Amino acid sequence: MSKEPESHYSIDKLHFIFALAALALLVIVGGVFMKDYDRKWKDYQKKFRTYEIEVARTTYDAELNELNDDAAYQELLTEIEKAEKDYEANCLGNDALEQEIEDLETQKILKEQDLKYTNAERDAAKFRYENAVGHHVGDPKATKGEYKSFADRAKTLKREVEDLKVALAAKTEIKAKCGKQLTELERKKRRITSERDIVERKLDAIDPNQMDFTNRVAQMVRDLPILDLSTPTTEVKQIVLKDITDDRIIRQVPKVDRCITCHLGIDNPAYKDFPQPYKTHPNLDQYVSNDSAHPMEQYGCTVCHGGRGRATSFQTAVHTPQNEEQKQDWKKKYNWKADHHWEEPMYPLQYTEAGCFKCHSGEYPIKGAETLNLGLQIIERAGCYACHELERYKDWPKPGPDLTHIASKLSKEFAYKWIEDPHFFRKDTWMPAYYNLANNSDLMSMARGQQEIHAMVNYLFAESQDFNLSKMPRKANAENGAELVASLGCYACHQSKPLDGDHDVTNDDLRRQHGPTLTGLGTKTSKEWVYDWLKDPNRYHPETRMPNMRLSDQEAADIAEHLTQDTHKTFVMKSIPGFDEDIINDITMEFLGKQMPKTSAEKKLATMDLDQKLKYSGEKLIGRYGCYSCHNIKGFDNAKPIGIALDEEGSKALHKLDFGYVHVDHTKHGWFDQKLKAPRSFDNHKVKAPGEKLLMPNFRLSAHEREAVVTSILGFVTDVTVKNKIKPRTPENLQLEKGQEIIAQMNCRSCHKIEGEGATVQDTIVDWLKAYQGKTDSEAEKFLTSFSPPDLHGAGKKIDIEWLFNFLHSPDVEVRPWLEARMPTYKFNVGHLNTLVQYFNTLDGEDKFPVNPKPDVSLTDHEYKQAEKLFSLEYLGCNLCHIVGNETPTGTQDTWAPDLTLAKTRLKPEWIIEWIKDPQALVPGTNMPTFFDPSDYENSGAPDILDGDEDEQIRVLRNYLMTLTPDKRKTKVKVEIPASDTNEAGASEATP
Amino acid sequence: MIESIKLFINQITAPQISFTAIILLFFFIFPPSEGLYKFHKKIGLHKLWTNAGGKFMMGALFLFFCFGIMDENFRLIVTKADNVPIVGLLFLVVFFLWFALKQGYDNDKRIEEGKGPIEAEDAKEKVLVWPDLVYIELIAIVGCSILLLVWAMGLAAPLEAPANPTVSPNPSKAPWYFLGLQEMLVYFDPWIAGVLFPAIIKLGFMAIPFIDNNPKGAGYYTFNERKMAISIFLFLWLVLWIFLISTGTFLRGPNWNFFGPFEYWDTHKLEALTNINLSELVYMIWLGQALPDNILIREMWGFLLIGAYFVITPALLTVTIFKKVFQRLGPVRYSVFIVLLLLACSLPIKMYLRWAFNIKYLVAIPEFFFNI
Repeated sequence: MSKEPESHYSIDKLHFIFALAALALLVIVGGVFMKDYDRKWKDYQKKFRTYEIEVARTTYDAELNELNDDAAYQELLTEIEKAEKDYEANCLGNDALEQEIEDLETQKILKEQDLKYTNAERDAAKFRYENAVGHHVGDPKATKGEYKSFADRAKTLKREVEDLKVALAAKTEIKAKCGKQLTELERKKRRITSERDIVERKLDAIDPNQMDFTNRVAQMVRDLPILDLSTPTTEVKQIVLKDITDDRIIRQVPKVDRCITCHLGIDNPAYKDFPQPYKTHPNLDQYVSNDSAHPMEQYGCTVCHGGRGRATSFQTAVHTPQNEEQKQDWKKKYNWKADHHWEEPMYPLQYTEAGCFKCHSGEYPIKGAETLNLGLQIIERAGCYACHELERYKDWPKPGPDLTHIASKLSKEFAYKWIEDPHFFRKDTWMPAYYNLANNSDLMSMARGQQEIHAMVNYLFAESQDFNLSKMPRKANAENGAELVASLGCYACHQSKPLDGDHDVTNDDLRRQHGPTLTGLGTKTSKEWVYDWLKDPNRYHPETRMPNMRLSDQEAADIAEHLTQDTHKTFVMKSIPGFDEDIINDITMEFLGKQMPKTSAEKKLATMDLDQKLKYSGEKLIGRYGCYSCHNIKGFDNAKPIGIALDEEGSKALHKLDFGYVHVDHTKHGWFDQKLKAPRSFDNHKVKAPGEKLLMPNFRLSAHEREAVVTSILGFVTDVTVKNKIKPRTPENLQLEKGQEIIAQMNCRSCHKIEGEGATVQDTIVDWLKAYQGKTDSEAEKFLTSFSPPDLHGAGKKIDIEWLFNFLHSPDVEVRPWLEARMPTYKFNVGHLNTLVQYFNTLDGEDKFPVNPKPDVSLTDHEYKQAEKLFSLEYLGCNLCHIVGNETPTGTQDTWAPDLTLAKTRLKPEWIIEWIKDPQALVPGTNMPTFFDPSDYENSGAPDILDGDEDEQIRVLRNYLMTLTPDKRKTKVKVEIPASDTNEAGASEATP
Repeated sequence: MIESIKLFINQITAPQISFTAIILLFFFIFPPSEGLYKFHKKIGLHKLWTNAGGKFMMGALFLFFCFGIMDENFRLIVTKADNVPIVGLLFLVVFFLWFALKQGYDNDKRIEEGKGPIEAEDAKEKVLVWPDLVYIELIAIVGCSILLLVWAMGLAAPLEAPANPTVSPNPSKAPWYFLGLQEMLVYFDPWIAGVLFPAIIKLGFMAIPFIDNNPKGAGYYTFNERKMAISIFLFLWLVLWIFLISTGTFLRGPNWNFFGPFEYWDTHKLEALTNINLSELVYMIWLGQALPDNILIREMWGFLLIGAYFVITPALLTVTIFKKVFQRLGPVRYSVFIVLLLLACSLPIKMYLRWAFNIKYLVAIPEFFFNI
């Protein structure tokens, strides 16, 4: 190749271009690696490393300080110092010994090595010999000699090694003895400093300042591109869950959550004040940590929070901002964009509890999920389930009153004005507004709306059936009525006035809104109607949840008198527009036109008079608006609810929600919130005929309430991915859930504390004690427990099944006769009663079958007398506090306790034994005195009764109680009333 | 001002207008006959195929995109990772079209001057495989690698939600190279648009060497010597393929509705699309009577029309503008050629029938799943 061939292009130029291109390619390839290497999560991990060092340092310093302040430790240090000196002086000085040990050690190693080689040679020789004999390969004699000599040598060596070991052990023992104390002390020191040592080791591993040079270089090399494939310091951390899956439609794959790649401090309480993403989970008791109910390793993160678990960047994890401010902030900080490709974006912070519902959907309430519970309770109160099917509320009664006898209760005028604007009459009513909303407040719609209301009212009154109100006593005392309302417990379910507007509603408030707020009744209805209603609510409204308070005629009359004194003056003054036949014709034609051709419809219309038109269109309108979903209305017995089912609303695809022309965030929660805030607003700017318009009414929920309801709706999902984590559907769990459902439905928690929640009525009892019983604040506090309906903790263990069943059926037994609040009579059916009884028993683990046989409660004459003695004031003085039949206790009412003559039927005999033995163990804080000191049980009983046998004493006392009956009083004890000091002896059970 | 420009563009990009405009312009830009060619030169359209013309076209396209990219809706569609290559494709199509035609026009000029095509001179010069060919190929490989790597890094893969058979994306779009076929589905029954036409296209490609027996233009670029062939080819390529692909990519939104380049893709947009079959048009609208029960009588008009299209049109063409072609090709080649051409032309014809008369099918026999 001497001569360059002639070329078309300039080769130099091509060289140059090629060089440039190659260089560019090199740079780009470098860029590829850089791009692959450069991940945001690595930066987070590096930053976290500095925090980690910071935290470890602080802990280290704290530990160090603690050790410095620890006198025992300091003492130990001086001791060690002394021991060391001792050791140096006595043991280390002995160089000869040291030398000897070292020599022996060396000799031993050498010999051992020799032995190893010889053994190998011996085994090889052995094989050769065996082979020579067996296979005739080689000379058997010579090989045998060889083998023998090796074997002998191995034996000798082995013995020598053993001897050396013995010699060495002897020498070391001398040395070890010398340092024994020191080793012991060192061990002690290590025990004390173990925590500090752990932190120190950690610091050694992570803190570059504490590392040696080699380690520091190694750390750097580990993280270099490409080399980081083995063990980098920064790495994607993930939780893989086998029994929770990611739904890939075609198949379920194990869930993989990589959130902890950045959320590095999530399970460590030390990071609770650090910025995101390092911050500790705010509720480690319930979540994330290993001893919580939902450990991270078993549940991951996205199963509750939503979002894309496999993602390792802020954007792809589908974080969702909780408000506009955060959105803008994220846009700036993370270049955040809404991701429409992921169907389950993370719940915004305020809606997080939505994630609880998928597994806990059967529970009432779902413990710990405050917002979710509030939302569910609002759904119960507002009766959303009446129009929107919801599995959870399948068998719930209609939320609104019965309208089949409406004429006996209301006037047409009231009904008109009420439908027109229910909130004007009663600010906090659960009856929603149907008129003057976004899609019907223009002039035409308003005119039409007025006639629609006329039509519906006319239909209701035309169809209203006769209802005879019972006769009311002529005289009634409103003041007495007021006191009755305050004392009987009416305020457990009703409020006397609406809540303040700026008050965020709570679960307790909602329990007090179980029934309507008692305002304006004088305007709404007549005294006679209220009287009749109070006497027997079921007569007017068979499905009502208002129980029968078992009022006497006079009591009912007094209350009716009191309640109807409150009137609504501006409401009365509101005027009602007259009929407009043209519009009524339009409305009638609209419906007629759907049933028949227009010509026939026109002919038909001409034959109808105004009343007929009103009634006809009224019925059709009630059907359209679905009034019958909440109210019993004649003619709509089998009508289906008009709303869509909500059971899967939370997993509905976003594109199925019509945002219309409303500018809200295109997110599910944005849509739900808008729907609740202004339900008809999605009709804005749309051209729609009256029959096509959206129908959902406005409940005027506050922002706080909407947030709660949206949380619930977001939680209504079908999620197959968690099927392994749902509470097992065992009979016990189902019984508990069924019981909880009735308790929620009947608002039992308003009076009773059940599973630690409820007893809302107590606030109003305090009010009553102060207003009517002349108690001061502190007195009211003291009397509150004994004047409140009982806490039902442990009721299943305590109350006899049959008695409980009967009591729930007809609670006219006075367990606590002094109580003013009254356990009302509910219209429970056998199913309800069984469910409740089973619930209380299952809750306390008393659901075993067969039921324990009743113990023998007979007494010999002697035992009876002894028991009577024990019962008397001489010994335990039970009737100091307990009511016995018609004999009231002598102490003040704050110590009164249930009627003992009921014990025989009411209490489980086993429970009485337990109770007398140690009341505090069953109900901590009860007023019942501990007569038998559990710490010194053997000597706690009276020595002169039944030979001082405590078990016997309790048994006969229990059996004695079983002989007390209300009619057959067997004992009469004369009691000297002590002037004071009732508290000491007096006792009152805190439970029934 | 800008808004009204955008509105104007949105309106004129509607296929009815843009398609008509392109067809009309097409025959002036690519004149198939001598007469049109002269007119084409007279109004100076041949200057498009000069350096200045190339700069003008590329510049105009570039400016249009610069203008468009400022609009949010335009940007959203054009910068979608899927669509970026189609934008590149538009530029490449224009560039290579210009590049080929420029050389053709230059040669035409040389031939006119009696110099022969430029390629003839090239052929005299010797070019070595190494280094001339292999070296620049190597450089090109490196260049392409750079381009692909930069592209891969700059535009992330357009990943969407996990596939869910119950949720189909809206609009559901075929890969870009099939969008022409998908666009045809708007106007034809699937068996025609999805089976018959793709088959005919392939058969047509195979037939080209047998039909085209014109030795002119072999080994060199020319336009003048092969006006009709180039014009017909470019019509099929640019109008019936590239145009449909770009429409499908950029202008078809949710529910396959048409959206102007600056229009928001509103899923709820509604268009009045009540289409009727030819039989309904004839009997019910024109004659004011019910449809006959007999299928053949009912669909008679459609069959007649299609029959006429494939019998009378070729006859007419043969005695008029294709007289010379017929003489040159002979009856067999000519028949194949004319059938292919008529099939190709049936697409724009059907499009116009749809737009003008809302015609859905010319022959509609749903009883036998047979629709044309």
